[in-house]
Amino acid sequence: MSVRKKKLLNQRSMILREMLQGLVSAYPDVVRLTDDGLIVRAQPKAPGKVGLVIGNGSGHEPAMIGFVGSGLFDVNVPGEIFTAPGPDRIVAGIKAADRGTGVLLCVSHHAGDLMNAEMALELCQMESGINVEMVVLYDDISSAPKGSEPERRGTAGLFFVWKMLGAYAETGASLTECKRLAEHIRDNTRTLALALTSAASPVTDEVMFELPDDEMEIGMGVHGEVGIGRHKLLSADATIDLMLPRLLEDLPFNAGDEVLVLLNNSGSMTLMELYILHRRVAQRLTEAGVHRYKSWIGPYATTQEMAGFALSLCRIDDHMKQLWDAPCNGAFLKGV
Amino acid sequence: MNGPDFVRLIQAIHTAMEAAQTELNALDSELGDGDHGGALATAFADAAEKAAALTNPTPSTVLAVTAQSLLNRMGGASGALYGTLFLRMSASCKDRTELTLADWQAALQAGLEGVQARGKAAPGDKTLVDALAPAVAAVSTSDTLGGAFAAAAAAAQAGADQTAEMVAKFGRAKFVGERARGHVDAGARSMAVLFAALHRYQEDEDGKT
Repeated sequence: MSVRKKKLLNQRSMILREMLQGLVSAYPDVVRLTDDGLIVRAQPKAPGKVGLVIGNGSGHEPAMIGFVGSGLFDVNVPGEIFTAPGPDRIVAGIKAADRGTGVLLCVSHHAGDLMNAEMALELCQMESGINVEMVVLYDDISSAPKGSEPERRGTAGLFFVWKMLGAYAETGASLTECKRLAEHIRDNTRTLALALTSAASPVTDEVMFELPDDEMEIGMGVHGEVGIGRHKLLSADATIDLMLPRLLEDLPFNAGDEVLVLLNNSGSMTLMELYILHRRVAQRLTEAGVHRYKSWIGPYATTQEMAGFALSLCRIDDHMKQLWDAPCNGAFLKGV
Repeated sequence: MNGPDFVRLIQAIHTAMEAAQTELNALDSELGDGDHGGALATAFADAAEKAAALTNPTPSTVLAVTAQSLLNRMGGASGALYGTLFLRMSASCKDRTELTLADWQAALQAGLEGVQARGKAAPGDKTLVDALAPAVAAVSTSDTLGGAFAAAAAAAQAGADQTAEMVAKFGRAKFVGERARGHVDAGARSMAVLFAALHRYQEDEDGKT
């Protein structure tokens, strides 16, 4: 199995810092790197609006550093490669995001992210003056069965939350309203991913899992945890025919529902393949009577050079459409 | 065991983690991303440096700076759990200038409870709790520090070995399912390294007197 271990890096211990310096050197009008390693908006949100913050392990770029900006996150707390940041750094992020009316700490559900976020929340509650709430987000149907949704992992489909929640906070929505919307989007989003090849940690060069040349694996998480099943390699259409019904059944998405579609590139999938895959997604949704409002295709949450994709659907209503179409300006997400 | 003793203990743990780094990375690469040993070595190096810089170290302050290094230099689930262990131990001996065996028992018990509350893992779930819980229980089987730490080190290692037979219920290892069998959990093994270092430290101290 081919995994691209060749990478153009400098010192391994400097990967995170140099990546952040590179990001802000490219987009100084959008983001700024603070002395304590936070990515913050170049122009802070107006006072009186709810601040949005998220911490995450790095190595999944553009998630989440690329989604800081107007109409998106106020602060990202990037951890080391595949490692959630510690509580003190998250607390610093919460303080940096506070515009006087409270902060929503978003957590993509993984053990390390959740534990460190909980500790950060406890630290904030001991200090007075910061009104902070936490929302735990998940979307991957392969990581826990239906009925155990809160045990599922957060993966690429949370993209829908980032975009719409960011737009909602800009409207002046309250902390309670922001949290409720994030939960609502989460509860209407479902994701299933597929991997063709594995990826290596840029720090240790360890290949995350082995996958034979003639096989693919359905249900891969962003860290390379093994999902629900290995299959002999199928055609693009047969792959979608296998994956899409599972997504539709899980929510379920019904005839007459309106959805957003994300085909997320895990790293080294070609756009050509993703377009071919999307062709079948569109056909199957039409057959099922599910209306597509808009589709997004591209690398929004990656795991290094992993070849694979995540298919995400989000059921939307008119209010969510407005939020989806609202302007935004992050390093990796411009307008809509 | 007084404050300066704790400074030397943290240094001893750092040395042990450095020595075990490659082994722990290899264990972690079976089920995780292969950085557990490196992350622990880095965090304990930071802790040893910060502990040595304390002007009037007490057991509690040494444990507290160690917790900060583990939480903020290590990060991830392991950092949160290791950090919580040291943080709760620190809180349980806040007013003590010297820890007796009874203080150690209370501190470790508080640490274990904190770790289980934070990570929600029980014995048998293939986590560091599988080494920590038997080690904490074993500390009560002797009436000397040397005997207690010897028992704890043996119990931690036996507990870590047993994780090879388990299927993980937490963390990234959970998602490999049955494939986790046959692999020792890296967190359980590093916890055994920690208790082995504690045991060796006490042996050296007892040898001096």
